[in-house]
Amino acid sequence: MYKLLVKQFFRSKTVLLAFSILLVLGALSITTGKQFLTQKQVAVEQTIEQQKKHIETQVELHKTDIGLLLYYLKFSFVKPLEPIAGIAIGQSDVNSHIQNVKILNLEGQKYDTDLVNPMRLQVGNLDFSFLIIFLFPLVIIALNFNLLSDEEEKGTWKMVILQGSSPIKYLLTKLSIRFAFVLVVFFILLTSAKIFLSIPLNANFWHITIISLLYVVFWFAVSLIVILKRRSSNANAIILLTSWLVLVVFLPVLVNNYITNKYSVEEAFTMTIKQRDEYHKKWDTDKKATMDKFYKHYPQFKHYKLQEKGFSWLWYYAMQQMGDDESRIERDLMNEKIRKREQLGKTIAKFFPPLQVQLSMNSIAKTSLCDHMNFLNATSDFHEKLRLDFYPKIFDNVNAETVNWKKYKPEYYNNLRVTNIFKKSLPIIIITLMLFGLSFIIAKKNF
Amino acid sequence: MKVQVVLLIAKQFFNKTFYSKGLLGLLAVFISVLIYVTIDGWNAYENNHHITEHHQDKARKSWEDNPDKHPHRMAHFGTFAFREQHPLTIFDSGIESYTGNAIFLEAHRQNTANFSEASLSTGLVRFGDLNIAMLLQLILPLIVFFVGYSAITSEKENGTLKIYYTQGINMKDILFGKSVGLFLVSTLFFIPGLIALWSITIIQDDVLNSSIVMRALMISVFYILFYLILSFTTVLISGKSTNSNRSLLTLLGGWLLFFIIIPKTSQVIGNSLYPNLSKIAFRAAVEEEVSKQGDSHNPNDPYFNRLKDSILKIHNVTDVKELPFNYSGFLMSKGEEQTASIYNKQQKKLIDSYKNQNSIANGLVMLNPYLAIKNLSMSLSGTDFNTYVSFLNQTEDYRYKQSQYMNELQMKFISNKAKSSEGKVHVVKKEYWQSAPRFSYQFITVSQTIRNQFSALASLVFWFFVLLLITVKFSNRFKII
Repeated sequence: MYKLLVKQFFRSKTVLLAFSILLVLGALSITTGKQFLTQKQVAVEQTIEQQKKHIETQVELHKTDIGLLLYYLKFSFVKPLEPIAGIAIGQSDVNSHIQNVKILNLEGQKYDTDLVNPMRLQVGNLDFSFLIIFLFPLVIIALNFNLLSDEEEKGTWKMVILQGSSPIKYLLTKLSIRFAFVLVVFFILLTSAKIFLSIPLNANFWHITIISLLYVVFWFAVSLIVILKRRSSNANAIILLTSWLVLVVFLPVLVNNYITNKYSVEEAFTMTIKQRDEYHKKWDTDKKATMDKFYKHYPQFKHYKLQEKGFSWLWYYAMQQMGDDESRIERDLMNEKIRKREQLGKTIAKFFPPLQVQLSMNSIAKTSLCDHMNFLNATSDFHEKLRLDFYPKIFDNVNAETVNWKKYKPEYYNNLRVTNIFKKSLPIIIITLMLFGLSFIIAKKNF
Repeated sequence: MKVQVVLLIAKQFFNKTFYSKGLLGLLAVFISVLIYVTIDGWNAYENNHHITEHHQDKARKSWEDNPDKHPHRMAHFGTFAFREQHPLTIFDSGIESYTGNAIFLEAHRQNTANFSEASLSTGLVRFGDLNIAMLLQLILPLIVFFVGYSAITSEKENGTLKIYYTQGINMKDILFGKSVGLFLVSTLFFIPGLIALWSITIIQDDVLNSSIVMRALMISVFYILFYLILSFTTVLISGKSTNSNRSLLTLLGGWLLFFIIIPKTSQVIGNSLYPNLSKIAFRAAVEEEVSKQGDSHNPNDPYFNRLKDSILKIHNVTDVKELPFNYSGFLMSKGEEQTASIYNKQQKKLIDSYKNQNSIANGLVMLNPYLAIKNLSMSLSGTDFNTYVSFLNQTEDYRYKQSQYMNELQMKFISNKAKSSEGKVHVVKKEYWQSAPRFSYQFITVSQTIRNQFSALASLVFWFFVLLLITVKFSNRFKII
């Protein structure tokens, strides 16, 4: 019986079509991921090379004046992408993964974007996560929508009933064949992704696998309910595709739109104007007031006294510092808004598996907004470290040639955040169980 | 073709569909969503408009509030350009979420446009944008397919197609009539969408240089053409299919292919065929070219030293301090000229590589009317790629002029003895800050837009005539049974 059902399954054209579409797009998605990772990696290598060259040239040009030299010098801070980011590119194509900062006012530098084609961003990436979230449900729908109705329409259902075996059991057997097929395709794609992107078999990899599988099961549960309602094949196709449209296309868009409009981040503009104004104003205000604020921030530099007349680097860098220090309120407000967006997104996503899967995958692959915000914070720490290192050198006006420039290589951000897979998968598990419960009730009623 | 018969069939199809179960419900849901989306988009636009204007004024005010100072200080004080949205963003937001909104414009540095909506959003932003155009381009076609898939097949299945035939009505009339009927059903849905478009147009008419009426007019025409194409396609596919089941599956498959898979895949392929420079490589390319041609920030640069010698010679003096103008102002203006031209060359290359990335999807507009309407809709709404590129070019142009204005002031008013830009000694009067022009952003013209999107326009017209031709000329190839 099982053998015959399997045979029958593979005779359908839909299976072949679904299989080939998934394989072709799967190959494309893995290529996309690979290319993305390579481009990011190449940029990192260029950064390392560029920084070395940059420091050498600038030191040569401005070795007599270390204050001026550090006005020009840029230092790179890199957020390395894990190979698994090739599976869920998330927001890591929108946000830059390399920061190039001078020790000047940081707020004017750290939000600089990468060079990316906005059309490309709008259309979105065809990565593995897209395949799972958008296309797998469609394949599941295409395989299942006429599971029962086709037999009823062709008249074979009556024969099945006459065989005396439980109709539900028969349906579940058919469903299990389709489930097995989807699983096989999924693992073929996942394994290829693992090999081509050289993803290590660590917790993150298994977390992505678990969350994807749960999502697949969720769509089987949705299909099962619709099948058991015993409508015509056409009605089933329309209902299932509409559910797909609502769950995967329409609701996510609606939710995102709601969040965006609820928390509009105008503080970004306010902050960016403020950080400029606060620095530049200091050119026209009392030097002593600026210096007092600077000494208050860095008491350890109190013994560097300002010369009576003329320009001095101590004053210049104190002014630059004020751009950051005095735009702090606006910056905090901006960050708070972004955190609120993140939080609200997470809360709403719990109720909608496609959203939950997307956010979880980004989070596991460390390509989420949260990871970027953490990277920006780490950039501030990196920048502060540079300042503390160079301020005394500038204030003492040390000879630039005595500094060991070779040790200033790009540094890497170490993202240690771990995701709680249980917390992330629980909402999907609950929703899926509820759907199965519902289909059990419907089955009782309809058979 | 008998016009009366066609109209009769159209009317009959319309009435039958209109009074069928669920259509009114669907229409009610669609219109409610449309109203929500319109109001919501409108609020967002007003809010954005307000924020942009407020910050633009704020930035300008602090610019004008600067006291007398050295012009080079002002050159680095710089200006901000906050990108204004076209009011039709409410209708079709195009790539709006992904384009930078604030750009800092200062002397000899080209900054990136930052704070795009997407850069401040969670991963959910990648599911897409909610606007009227999304409903009209993505959702409504599916409704048209649902309504029309059985237009012919149901008649076949019921055996009524034979009856038509025996009454002397040929296939041409039936196909034509059903298409018109289906188009009439689709008007129930898209006319409210166009009403939303025209309310935006009439109420936001006062926005300067937006040529909004012309844009709305063209958008309306193109959408009508698009739904005609969809209606004819649906009926033809229904006519070609042996039964309703097949017709539905073909249409749904077609929707997935033409509306989801092809647009996405073509862009992805474009990106992988034509990768663009990373920011670090871009900057390295500019720097390399600068150091090749001469670096004005390098005191020993041969190019700029030669320039200095020739200037000294012309003015018959031996030291820059004796020149009748401020030499470092002159040097900076030359440096600015040179770096700006190098930057612009690289920037053009970058934009060209973006255009190449888009070329695959743009090349497919002829084969895919969805891509055609998508491109037309967003470019006429002022939310497309070309509009953004024009914004970037305008900001760079403004930045250049402003920097050179400051250099001129320095050459004219600052003594050659000045050693630094600090303090109240070597300054220019603050009136000069106020007389610097404000940044005023111009949307690209409608005629330019049409030239950019000519192939998309041609595609819609082409498809419409091809479908008409098939309906009229090849109707005898459709089977009645």
